[in-house]
Amino acid sequence: MSETPSNGRPKIAFFDFASCEGCQLTVVDSLQTHLDLLNAVEIVQFREAMTEKGEDYQIAFIEGSCTREADEARLLEIREQADVVVALGACAHLGGVNALKNLHPLEDTRRWVYGDKADWYGTYEARPIGAVIEVDLAIPGCPIDREEFVRVVKAVLIGKTPPIPDYPVCVECKLKENVCLFDIGKFCLGPVVRAGCDAICPTYGDGCEGCRGFIPHPNQNAMKDVLAKAGLTVEEVMSRMTMFNTYQLQEQLVEEEGR
Amino acid sequence: MSLMVLNKGAVGPLIEALMADYRVVGPQAKGPQFAFGTLTDPAQMRLDYNTTILPPKKVLQPQQERLASYSLGGKPSVEQIIEATPTVLFGIHTCDLHAVQLLDKAFSEEYPDAHYLARRDQTILVSLECLEPCDEHSFCKSMGTLTAGEGYDLHLTDLGLAYAVDVATEAGAQILSDYGSASEAGDGDVRRLNDVLGAKWPRFTYRLEFDAAELPALLSTAYDHPLWQELGDRCLACGSCTNVCPTCYCFNVYDETNMALTEGERVRRWDSCQLDEFARVAGGENFREARAARQRHRFMRKGRYIFEKFGELGCVGCGRCIRACVADINIVDGFNAIQRSA
Repeated sequence: MSETPSNGRPKIAFFDFASCEGCQLTVVDSLQTHLDLLNAVEIVQFREAMTEKGEDYQIAFIEGSCTREADEARLLEIREQADVVVALGACAHLGGVNALKNLHPLEDTRRWVYGDKADWYGTYEARPIGAVIEVDLAIPGCPIDREEFVRVVKAVLIGKTPPIPDYPVCVECKLKENVCLFDIGKFCLGPVVRAGCDAICPTYGDGCEGCRGFIPHPNQNAMKDVLAKAGLTVEEVMSRMTMFNTYQLQEQLVEEEGR
Repeated sequence: MSLMVLNKGAVGPLIEALMADYRVVGPQAKGPQFAFGTLTDPAQMRLDYNTTILPPKKVLQPQQERLASYSLGGKPSVEQIIEATPTVLFGIHTCDLHAVQLLDKAFSEEYPDAHYLARRDQTILVSLECLEPCDEHSFCKSMGTLTAGEGYDLHLTDLGLAYAVDVATEAGAQILSDYGSASEAGDGDVRRLNDVLGAKWPRFTYRLEFDAAELPALLSTAYDHPLWQELGDRCLACGSCTNVCPTCYCFNVYDETNMALTEGERVRRWDSCQLDEFARVAGGENFREARAARQRHRFMRKGRYIFEKFGELGCVGCGRCIRACVADINIVDGFNAIQRSA
């Protein structure tokens, strides 16, 4: 635990693991247009935006999934230091696209990525950081939504429950009065995926791929039926469902087998 | 009040003239479908539309609206926000007109809603007689909404080259005389109107296999019907059926405060009984946790509860919930199944 900051501004730090760093880039972008937020905190570590590296912080934002056993120690250190740990974006929140590799034998993916240097690098199945350390909250998305980032951080700073929607993308899509993609022969995971993105992909004609994770109690069987009826093969249905949610679906399978 | 005739060529100029003083909202193309929107050009109006994605309720109860702003400084203050502009809602079908009448009751009885009522007060309704069903999902004839004798300011019926305009209110008469160029209907027009109205009925089919007036009684004994579980298994709980429903009016209220907690706004947004968290209360209990219970609630609202509260059925037969459901849940099939097993 850290000392209470002398100036009353909480110290925050950003960390990254296996990711494209696009969520941190979105953070930089958000802060540029929300100076009130920037003034309310003191950033002590943010590799993508500054040189200084302070190790005294209360709130840690972590982007990226954990894909190496060696990273666990660093995650534990962050957890030890921070009062609040926030998973930033789909990789940290869900495992995200990184977890697609979990569908293949580990040795194969390792050779594929590192070639003849494969033996030099450790790797294991990609997982959300919540599988390694306790996470207090997640800001979903690939990348995160810049407005949602601001809303959530403000809520954390004033001690309110962060307003992360638990209803599906369809709600936001309908309220925007978009033509439903199923009506024009396209496919979408909107009915079972968490909203908060303002239905950005369907709004621009692309079906939801689930980057914000499933809603609580998703009716996955009905979703599969709907996709199959719309013309997807079982393989295509699974390829769509696993794009961002491989880790969750595999965990679910393990749980079901355990019953 | 009176019957007038408006040549089709005079509709554009009427809209254009109205646009100078009113927000004119009418049906417009949205991709291959239609949506009500504020017209910026009379040519955007598509009176040949079948149905719209969202019903016109969004004009009276927007998807999201601000209710009040407040400050919590040394002297706390609250200011109500009433956002209403003079509006002409043009070309709504009679199913939606019936729905507006129901919303009027919901927002004025018991707890009058200043926000809705201010908007409603500033809205002139110009409805349109349907001569063809929107599509195979329309069941307006079953629900008794295929025509309307009241509730509008002006009501248009397509006579071919002109519209017959039933002028029902002073406000309707005034916009027609101040902004339009309609003439009094002659005997020939009245005959033609009667012909058109008489000819349309066979084009619509009843889709309920029984009289809709039986719905409240039928549903009062259907609480434990196996249909609900079947629907619950198929339902994705996406909320689309209620979001597109012209009579659903549930909302949630949120506070949006600034960082310093010194000022904020209270906003409300459409909510849906089909969503997981809708019936969750403080302490964590969820009174309608199962999707089956939520679908049952929707059917009960449409066929029974609203009738018990307001004396009218909560469904106007527009068919939007059927079109919007990707899982093909069909309220007509549902009601018919219950009736058959009764």
